[in-house]
Amino acid sequence: ATALSMMYTGVQQARDFEDPEGLKEKSEQLLHEWIQHHSSLPLKENTKAFQQFVLQMNSQGLFKTDDMITRFFRICTENCVETCYILITKNQRQACYQRLDAFVKLIILLVKHSGDQTNHVNKINLFNKVLGLIAGCLLYDQESKLGQFEPMPFHRLFFMLLFEANLPENNLEPIIYHVLQAFVNVYHIIRPTKAPGFAYSWLELVSHRVFLSKMLQVSQPTPDQSFKSWNMYATILTQLIKFLSPFLRNIELTQSVMLLYKGTLRLFLVLLHDFPEFLCNSHYQLCDAIPSNCIQLRNLVLSAFPRSMKLPDPLTPNLKVDMIADIDANPPKIAYPYTYNIPSKLKNDLDSYIKTRAPISFLSDLRSYLQTSPEIGSRYNIQLMNALVMYVGTYGIQALRSKSLTPTHTNLTHAVHSTYIDIFQTLVADLDSEGRYLFINAIANQLRYPNSHTHYFGCVLLNLFSEANTEAIQEQITRVLLERLIVNRPHPWGLLVTFIELIKNPQFKFWNHQFVHCAPEIEKMFLSLGKNCVKTN
Amino acid sequence: LGKTVLTKEQNQHLAILEGAYKKLPHPSDTERSRNYLPRIAVNTPAHYPQVPPVGHDSLDFLCKLNCDTLFFMFYYMEGTKAQFLAAQALKKLSWRFHTRYMMWFQRYEEPKVITDEYEMGTYVYFDYSKWAQNRKDGFTFEYKYLEDKDLS
Repeated sequence: ATALSMMYTGVQQARDFEDPEGLKEKSEQLLHEWIQHHSSLPLKENTKAFQQFVLQMNSQGLFKTDDMITRFFRICTENCVETCYILITKNQRQACYQRLDAFVKLIILLVKHSGDQTNHVNKINLFNKVLGLIAGCLLYDQESKLGQFEPMPFHRLFFMLLFEANLPENNLEPIIYHVLQAFVNVYHIIRPTKAPGFAYSWLELVSHRVFLSKMLQVSQPTPDQSFKSWNMYATILTQLIKFLSPFLRNIELTQSVMLLYKGTLRLFLVLLHDFPEFLCNSHYQLCDAIPSNCIQLRNLVLSAFPRSMKLPDPLTPNLKVDMIADIDANPPKIAYPYTYNIPSKLKNDLDSYIKTRAPISFLSDLRSYLQTSPEIGSRYNIQLMNALVMYVGTYGIQALRSKSLTPTHTNLTHAVHSTYIDIFQTLVADLDSEGRYLFINAIANQLRYPNSHTHYFGCVLLNLFSEANTEAIQEQITRVLLERLIVNRPHPWGLLVTFIELIKNPQFKFWNHQFVHCAPEIEKMFLSLGKNCVKTN
Repeated sequence: LGKTVLTKEQNQHLAILEGAYKKLPHPSDTERSRNYLPRIAVNTPAHYPQVPPVGHDSLDFLCKLNCDTLFFMFYYMEGTKAQFLAAQALKKLSWRFHTRYMMWFQRYEEPKVITDEYEMGTYVYFDYSKWAQNRKDGFTFEYKYLEDKDLS
């Protein structure tokens, strides 16, 4: 908590320009000397030179108070940034790096030597303060320069700070967790919705291999801390999605948005390939943020499965889902506190309905809970919809388990379980097409690798299809499944399995429906899909 | 779900992002500065290889390279994995690094004298200032200048 408050103090002090007289000149002179000195040193740190420099700073009174040292850092940051603006117009990027890298080295050395060897609090606090200060300067610079804002100096400072902090010679290993946390916090402060001019740099920083591997590897001091940093990283990703989502939803795809989106896709591909367990863990939080029309981005998240697992080919003839190992295993517990999205009154009513199956009026009230605005296109609280589906489903699975049953068509409609199915069926029947679309999507978001959720929600979806009293419901279920399958790979395993079951199992009379034959191109698509899935039968 | 109307703030974000698009980060912004071989991006024709061959960053690959190439990597790519691999490859090709002269030496023949502190004989060495291999007769290689860090 103190580390974070140090950071915010830093952010604030970036706007405090009431320096004591002469401090600016003194600081700039010192910085200049240090930069000269640094460029003449070999790569390895020269301790003697640094000690001399510290003595000099001390004699200039810069170490007298915390306030003074903060001002020194602010003046240095401003000075570096200003010089970079000039150097960039002259196309001298290397010269920028030289100054910025020297400044970073100074920061790292000061952090390394602050406080004593065993007490790390000073180091952590100073590090947070400097990061906050640089973030504050960035925000101020962007505000005042607007379109002329140049992200490079800040980009370089943050990158080099992370890079240097991870070098073994700088001895920050004991506090590396706090260092990472500081970066997570500072990236939050300068997230794209706060600093859109820094968005590309921000994406590069959060997806840099050093940061990524430190955040997501499970080799941290304790597993607990690993999960914590997984959650922190998931939050960073949702900040990126939140920035993009109004533009993606509106298909407002300017070149600039496209580039950022492409970068996002690439990052997710890396995550899917190298850290699938992370995506498995954070899928709920991520899907909650991804706009409904971003099918491929969502598929990337939902296709992740633990590396230790071997998925049976969904096209295997007579695949018996019930027989698959792991199909009863629960996926990792959702770390994101999604039940907070459910208002307490709804939660109480829901709990008592699940227990007593009364009052019946509860079901008819459900829709009004979910609908929050009369405006078409944003009528529903999507997060609440997702939370509700997950909450009911989790209890539904428990209820089946307590009777040692597995989800099958008969078991789901069985008296023991009909409470849960009632809730789902009411929703699918009562909601308008916008709400139903979101509801079916919320279910489809659980169709992933073999686990109890995939199995349960897959059966629920098929149940809703076969029990539907209008063809509109069936059409919409088909639509949700289909639109997730006609995009480019990857496709989630559970989604494929559910869709194949739907078109293969004669019980669903899939081919008798009108919407399958409504347009020649759609019919052709279904036939080719059907051929693919059925031919092996 | 169809389009929504962008808020004033979102439109502003879009405009600022458009500005940032003109100042995209360079690849070199997120790597150590390269003093000798800075990155200079140009459009190369599509029929020209765009990426290096697979395995170019392995020791086996480097061992097949010309020694001069390895010396080039060693002196011009300081502080990179490439430098590290080049040093490893040179060692494997029985070159030894002299920490005082900062040059690589190789025995031309069996040394005439070998003691615990030094060896003496004829050596081939790579002179980076003249960029050429030379021979030196009667040279004393003191072991205290032998770079003997385990690179594996």
